[in-house]
Amino acid sequence: MSIVLDQVTKRYQGAPVVNDVSLEVAEGEFFVLLGPSGSGKSTLLRAIAGLTSVDHGRIHLHGQDVTHLSARQRGVGFVFQNYALFKHMTVGENIEFALRVRRMKAAERVKRRKELLRLVALEGMDDRLPTQLSGGQQQRVAVARALAHKPQVLLLDEPFGALDAKIREELRRTIRQVQRELKITTVLVTHDQEEAFALADRIGVMNLGRLLETGKPEELYASPATRFVATFLGAANLLLARQTAQGICFGRMPVRTQVSERAETTREHEVVAVLRPEEIELAPTRDALRTSFIANGVVEEVVFTGALERLRVRIDNDSAEEARLAAVSSDSQPANAVLEVTRTQHEQRAFPVTLQQTVAIGVRRIHVLPTPLSSYTACGPTSEAVQRLVRHPFLTELAARMKTRIAVRTEAALGQLDTDKPASEPITGVAVISSSGNVARQVEWLLRNGAGEIMVLPAHVAAPRRVLIHWADDVVRRSTLAVAASLLRHVPAEAVYLGILPSHSDESQKPIGVRSLLDARSEAQAVHGLEMRTELHFGAAGEELHRQLSEAPDQMLILGISNMQQIHEEFGALFAAPASYSMMVVYRSAKEIDQAARADHARGDHVRDEAPVKARERAAIGR
Amino acid sequence: MAIGADKEMLAELARRPGRDTLTSAIVKGAFITVSLLFLAALLFAPLITVFATALEKGFDVYISSFKDSDTLAAIRLTLTVAAIVVPLNTIFGIAAAWAIGKFEFRGKSVLITLIDLPIAVSPVISGLIYVLLFGIHGWFGLWLQENDISIIYAVPGIVLATLFVTFPYVARELIPLMEQLGNDEEEAAITLGAGGLMTFFHVTLPKIRWGLVYGVILCNARAMGEFGAVSVVSGHIRGLTTTMPLHVEILYNEYNFVSAFAVASLLTLLAVVTLVIKTFVEWRGYRKR
Repeated sequence: MSIVLDQVTKRYQGAPVVNDVSLEVAEGEFFVLLGPSGSGKSTLLRAIAGLTSVDHGRIHLHGQDVTHLSARQRGVGFVFQNYALFKHMTVGENIEFALRVRRMKAAERVKRRKELLRLVALEGMDDRLPTQLSGGQQQRVAVARALAHKPQVLLLDEPFGALDAKIREELRRTIRQVQRELKITTVLVTHDQEEAFALADRIGVMNLGRLLETGKPEELYASPATRFVATFLGAANLLLARQTAQGICFGRMPVRTQVSERAETTREHEVVAVLRPEEIELAPTRDALRTSFIANGVVEEVVFTGALERLRVRIDNDSAEEARLAAVSSDSQPANAVLEVTRTQHEQRAFPVTLQQTVAIGVRRIHVLPTPLSSYTACGPTSEAVQRLVRHPFLTELAARMKTRIAVRTEAALGQLDTDKPASEPITGVAVISSSGNVARQVEWLLRNGAGEIMVLPAHVAAPRRVLIHWADDVVRRSTLAVAASLLRHVPAEAVYLGILPSHSDESQKPIGVRSLLDARSEAQAVHGLEMRTELHFGAAGEELHRQLSEAPDQMLILGISNMQQIHEEFGALFAAPASYSMMVVYRSAKEIDQAARADHARGDHVRDEAPVKARERAAIGR
Repeated sequence: MAIGADKEMLAELARRPGRDTLTSAIVKGAFITVSLLFLAALLFAPLITVFATALEKGFDVYISSFKDSDTLAAIRLTLTVAAIVVPLNTIFGIAAAWAIGKFEFRGKSVLITLIDLPIAVSPVISGLIYVLLFGIHGWFGLWLQENDISIIYAVPGIVLATLFVTFPYVARELIPLMEQLGNDEEEAAITLGAGGLMTFFHVTLPKIRWGLVYGVILCNARAMGEFGAVSVVSGHIRGLTTTMPLHVEILYNEYNFVSAFAVASLLTLLAVVTLVIKTFVEWRGYRKR
């Protein structure tokens, strides 16, 4: 491995800018770090070069630990966004700078300079001053200068940022050529997905300081694991659907189409489906569709963009035979979803559409995100209580970041203690309740009515900076980690797994505890792409967690349970007093996990049982 | 890009304010006249007077007034003080500007304010603080006397007072420059393997050289011309602790106008040379950009 990052964290004024990033870049690989501005990608690149120190974690270059070496000693090639050429030196002197530092003989310097100028196609420009060159030429000089001392790693920080489109493309080709010719390990930072696709052997997508997913461009595009990657890499329609035993349902009828990703449990639950605009088919009637029908719609907008036609089609819920097709949107009102559709010239000729025309919508391929957090449902005994929850700043921020909706549900039963009365219909998505009243009874009632994840929010709680993770037993380990990974992609906080041993346990049990921590960590990393820290504590689980959470402000707990009695017994302390921290309860019964595993087995799919190494590889290539 | 107007010409056109009409021409003329009259009354008239009075009794008398040993001593002292103060303040200025321009630290704004202090404080006060510190009745007075070190009414006092008064000039010139130029080129040099000194001399110094020259010139002019602070600490001992400005005053008070104005003309020449160099530096700086 050429570059290895292990849990690299960089904080700025207390907030993590780069949050627990682990990454391996292979020898000679072209790796592109992609993310919006402020995602921490440039900071990470500067940390690799040694221009920024890290607060936590290790950085290895070619097997050597360089975490504490200066930028000078690391000797990587670095290309800056605004070139950073030495303006008082000629092009030749700029390129020879690194060689003069190394006291190379003049004749050799000249030879190397000529070689580099040929490489970047700037022969004969030796005596020009940087100010006499165009932007594209200056950046070529910067690339040549960065390569002069034959570094083993080349880092480029948004190198095309200041250039116009045409020169950008040309320079892109040059850099790709140079990289191929020298077979140099390269990391490039950009916010432009087209650039990433054009250059990368492998892409890593960053947001809010976390490295969300890495993988080959085409794999990341076809099967993203997160909402962010789905929508950041190309356009995507996100729709809420139901995962049933028969398959994916948008309404009552399952959609017969190619679906990637399989269910974690057999229980019917809500999922987020990704429909790429080019995978959607339009036809005059349902029968004319060659693909699986999902709904009727009305064409709202048609834009001609050259090779492709872009349309916006509003799904017509009333006329569609399958009722209730909800888009994933931050609106709390269940508005009719608008789908983005792109069509080729060929498709346009086969079925020309006009504005306001009613069309049948079909879909060729659906990708289901493996996230367990599909949408939020604010629950309360009265509509005022529910409205208060919907306006909760943390919840609205979370829903907006996840680009999902907050549904509302008023259930009088939540106010009374008569828990036998069932809900009007099963709860979908993450149930959200306030922390007033008898929290334990409310949680239990919601679990009995179909909720799998419940968020308990005190009235005045801010977004957490530290998220503690704990599960009652191994049955819910996987689900709890999945929820934690999904949540932490949208919250810039540190993740800490707390292992708790009974206080009377002696020294001999300690190694077992430590081992379970390490297992948890590697599973989180390998299967869920979640980097977390671990701590071992002693005491009664409920009390110990409560103590840890009450110690510092801005903390949150993600708690996995497999038995409803655990709410009252083991973790009673957490639900007893009105808490000052928010909580996410994840519930999976042993029975449903068992069924899902058996169903998997029947399909002859053993991936989950393979050694962690294999699983890690799977994660590395992008799931 | 051979076709069309070149980039600089277009920029020049875009920069020019307003259109050329008759009214604007009149307004322009009026403003220029007012400025020139103002300059004539306040600047050129006194300048001419200085040289006129100095040369009033002929060139020989003008030259002979420099042959006086006290005058020569005053010139020598002024040059000595400048030779000590200017390099020290240059080093300090670069260090302070480097610290402020390149690093984030607590109390940065306080440091910037402190650097401006000598400009805000009256020079007489600047002199007085040294008298209060090192004078016979000052804090360290007794100890200094016991060890037979004289600071006040001696050359060290003059150097200290001049140092204090002139230290903002280089720093103030460099701080905005360093902040504006940023760190990228230095970082590039470091990733290319250059050490601290190499980076400074080959990358940073060439970048800031014209700003530095300008700061040094200003610092030098002030160091040679300082009157107030030096007057308080010097004691006016002829031939020993009088600098050129102080010597001008002494000569003038003795009604020796020709000599007074002759020395004054030297100082004025210094100012003129400073202005010429400054203009040159600014022209070079503009061309570079």
